[in-house]
Amino acid sequence: MEPHGGRHLGDSAKHAGGSVRFLSRVRSWMRAVTRRSRMEREMDAELRFHIEAFAEDLVRRGVLREEALRRARIEFGGVERAKEECREARGVNFLESLIQDARFGLRMLRKNPGFTSVAVLTLALGIAVNTAVFTAFDALVLRPRPVKDPDSLVAVFRTTPGDARGRFSYPDYIYFRDRSKSFSDLSLFAFGMALTSSDLPPTGPEARSRLAGAVGFQLPQLLQGSAQPVVAVFVSGNYFQMLGAVPLRGRLLVPADDQLGSSPVVLMSGNFWQRQFHSDPKVVGSVLHLNGEPFTVVGVTPVDYMGTLPNVPSLWAPVAAKVHVGGLAAENLENRLLIAGMPAGRLKPGVSLSDAQAELDVLAAQLRIAHPEDEKNTGVLLLPDRNDVAMLGPEEWALVGAAMSAVGLLLLIACANVASLLLARAAVRHKEIAVRLAIGASRGRLLRQLLTESILIALFAGAAGLPLAAWLLHLLIVEIASALPSAWGTIALQVSPDVRIFSYALLVSCAAGIAFGLAPALQASKPDVNSALKAEGTLFGRRLSRLRLRGLLIAGQMAACLVLLISSTLLLRGSQRALEIDAGFESRHVVCLEIINPANLRYPQARMLQVSRDLIRGIAGVPGVRSVAQASRDPVGGIRWVPVAPVGAAASTSITQETQTTGAGYSYVTPNYFETLSIPILRGRVFTPSEAEGQAPVVVISEATARRFWPEENPIGKHLKIGLEKGTMFYPGEKDPFIPSSEVIGVARDVRSMDLRRIDESYVYLPLSQSRQWTRILLARTEADPRQLLPAFGHEVQRVDASLPVVGAPLYTMISMDPFFVVSRVGGLLASIVGALGLLLACMGVYGMVSYTVAQRTHEIGIRMALGARGTQVLKLIAHEGLRPILAGMLIGIVASAGVSRLLAAMLFGLNLLDAFSFFGVSLLLGGVALVATLLPARRATKVDPMVALRYE
Amino acid sequence: MDKQLELLQGTLDMLILKAVSLGPLHGYGILLRIQQISKDRLEIQQGSLYPALYRLEHQGWIASEWGESENNRKAKYYRLTAAGKRKLQTEAEKWNRMADVISGILQSTPEEV
Repeated sequence: MEPHGGRHLGDSAKHAGGSVRFLSRVRSWMRAVTRRSRMEREMDAELRFHIEAFAEDLVRRGVLREEALRRARIEFGGVERAKEECREARGVNFLESLIQDARFGLRMLRKNPGFTSVAVLTLALGIAVNTAVFTAFDALVLRPRPVKDPDSLVAVFRTTPGDARGRFSYPDYIYFRDRSKSFSDLSLFAFGMALTSSDLPPTGPEARSRLAGAVGFQLPQLLQGSAQPVVAVFVSGNYFQMLGAVPLRGRLLVPADDQLGSSPVVLMSGNFWQRQFHSDPKVVGSVLHLNGEPFTVVGVTPVDYMGTLPNVPSLWAPVAAKVHVGGLAAENLENRLLIAGMPAGRLKPGVSLSDAQAELDVLAAQLRIAHPEDEKNTGVLLLPDRNDVAMLGPEEWALVGAAMSAVGLLLLIACANVASLLLARAAVRHKEIAVRLAIGASRGRLLRQLLTESILIALFAGAAGLPLAAWLLHLLIVEIASALPSAWGTIALQVSPDVRIFSYALLVSCAAGIAFGLAPALQASKPDVNSALKAEGTLFGRRLSRLRLRGLLIAGQMAACLVLLISSTLLLRGSQRALEIDAGFESRHVVCLEIINPANLRYPQARMLQVSRDLIRGIAGVPGVRSVAQASRDPVGGIRWVPVAPVGAAASTSITQETQTTGAGYSYVTPNYFETLSIPILRGRVFTPSEAEGQAPVVVISEATARRFWPEENPIGKHLKIGLEKGTMFYPGEKDPFIPSSEVIGVARDVRSMDLRRIDESYVYLPLSQSRQWTRILLARTEADPRQLLPAFGHEVQRVDASLPVVGAPLYTMISMDPFFVVSRVGGLLASIVGALGLLLACMGVYGMVSYTVAQRTHEIGIRMALGARGTQVLKLIAHEGLRPILAGMLIGIVASAGVSRLLAAMLFGLNLLDAFSFFGVSLLLGGVALVATLLPARRATKVDPMVALRYE
Repeated sequence: MDKQLELLQGTLDMLILKAVSLGPLHGYGILLRIQQISKDRLEIQQGSLYPALYRLEHQGWIASEWGESENNRKAKYYRLTAAGKRKLQTEAEKWNRMADVISGILQSTPEEV
């Protein structure tokens, strides 16, 4: 009975004991955490009691009190160590020691304000730049839309074989809107339009941002007196309701506004209202004429409000209003085949994406049955409505990758810098560390404590870097935003603080902290206790390994720096070349005038021709204008292709009907085009005015075209077939030229009008009949600086027709609009800023390292000098050692740069990939600066007084 | 006197439990008692006493409270808990069994193998 009962009791007791054990452990842990200081006091009192009790026993045996205490302490052993083990036994060690490490670290940092501030600032710079780039990325890509409850928004796409992201027609949108039960609202975003309005308050010459000007961007300016273009987006009546938007002034659009019969209303964006109307409250209720139609402004959206768009539009209008401005014919609202826009919907609570997809699939099937021809093979696809990371294409990722790499390099340089600072400090502290190791600290503990210091520095740097990043970004955005013409809408980056950005900055800081702290901490905690305690701080062997690590860091910094500087120089020089390229035509004394969106005016053809004629006459009459030509495209943009083939005799190339590559660029020009642009005619002649008027089948071709079709012969008199009978599908909505047999009457010199980087492959010039065609482009050749004549041109425009929106710019400024140029220039600038920062940091690193080496080796130098070495010999010794890692790093940097330049080839505009100036010049610069940074402190070594040095510890 | 024997690994815990099983003691007292009942034949590292005490308390075999010592000074007293008592029993049994086995092995003669 007894044993059985005992065993039974024992079993349950074991379980109870287990839980008791666990509970008591938890209790003990909790107690320890919450009442730490009390526990410390108690532990201290307990141990003291023990020692005193032991001492008293000794006293009782006749030992003197002091002696007794001493013996008691010795007998007990290390009190601190015992305490440490006690704490460990209690199981609170990690958190406790972490806090302790942090406090100790803070104390150490406070004691060395110079070191701390340099380290923090250096790192803050690197972190700030990184965070700024990430913030931009986040704002553009990752951030959810600033609307109510963004997660329940879906975008609806129409799928056809071959296109999974198609748009909807208006009737289809209505169909799904009315029948689907999954959405609380389904709204439509229709394509925007550029409208013209002469009701907008005149703006001064568009304020150019200093940055844009400095960088070489010049945008065509709207001429004074011409009507202004403004971009409006069209949304369905329930759009704002769906998004839960709140107006800044007045009201927002409602479904009643979106009916064909309702009076046209429009909303202004807060940005537009502030900028153009100077926040005039009377704007609500006023009338704005858009494309000649009166619209009532009923409200203003909040500043920077973008809805589901990537940028802030100037105006918002209901879809039905598109009919009023001529963007859509009323009957087309019923046309199932005409693309209207993109629907977006809000899922009802409780409805999942897949539920909605299923329902819409069913509806789509019914639609296909109801309209078999229009809706053949169409379906619907629902996707969450976000700026998805998945929507980025490979070019975008390449750009992101490049930007992050550049700033990542800078951060690495900063880290290397701080790492070498830490190494230097570790050397100073090696005695302290050795003592700590000797009294029993474990190496792991020491390592953790040193790392904590590093992470503290990194966290401070992160905290300093965040506002710096915000400031940098704000600066950049303000500059960029003011560089864009207001007609393009506004880019509003949401750069307010955000959890993601904070965590990114935190992550980067910690990673940096570990990166630069680990190696020095490992180095420092390597115990060579004996020699450290004996104060033989300059033991050569140990110093060597520390020096090797620093050398590695310096080499790394130099390499990274060189890559940044060389890449940026290449990009800048490349972009400069773009500006200096001889395009083959005169661009400095030519003004390019362009009528914007003339279709908005809805003039009949006859009126348009008249306006065009009057305008040409007016412009030509301005003093200082030599000639005015017309062209169907401006000499640097708006490329048009047409297939061409020689007629008759064996063609040297076979032409297929579809591919563009066997076509030629073309434009319709007036006979004085060539003279206006100073394009020499190498053979033959240009069309006569009567040939032009009659649109005779004659053509002037470029040299390259002649070479291509008739390589050895005289092309004059030969015939070209231009275009195809059935037309091409290249430019829907435009009439392609078709001339079955056109006689070549002249050969013009080659120009670069389609791609700045190479000569046009083939180009043909067709005669323009001024009585039958008008063009948007006018080219005016001026005697003097064309910019002075722009106001006069504006005056003429206003005189002829004040509702014409015309922009004008000297032709050479349009070259700066070439996208490759923009990327090259901006990329070069940013990279050089980063590179300059990197240079600064790297040189600080070099200077620091050499100074430190000198200080450390003062003893050794003293010995050398006492033994007879001369100042210059010592200098050479120090400098030699300092230069080795620098040269190694530069070598690596040059090789890496050669690789990078290959990647950048597209943006170098023909600059030699191994451009001597960039590589050689920059290396020389870096080497020179590094040399100075080395020699300055090295010189101090020569001033060492041997007697003082020998006594130096 | 013979040289003191060093403690075998892990036996200090057992000795502490035994010492407090005879009555609550403060740390120094536990040391004295162990020395007393071992007739001073064991070498105890004083520094390792307290970590062991804390560990045992953390695991719940002993409990502590502050009290007054013989000369009216504040001291922390440890006593055996019920679980600790059971633990002491188990450990003692294990120790005895182990001692049997080991001595059995050491006494084996060539013929028995």
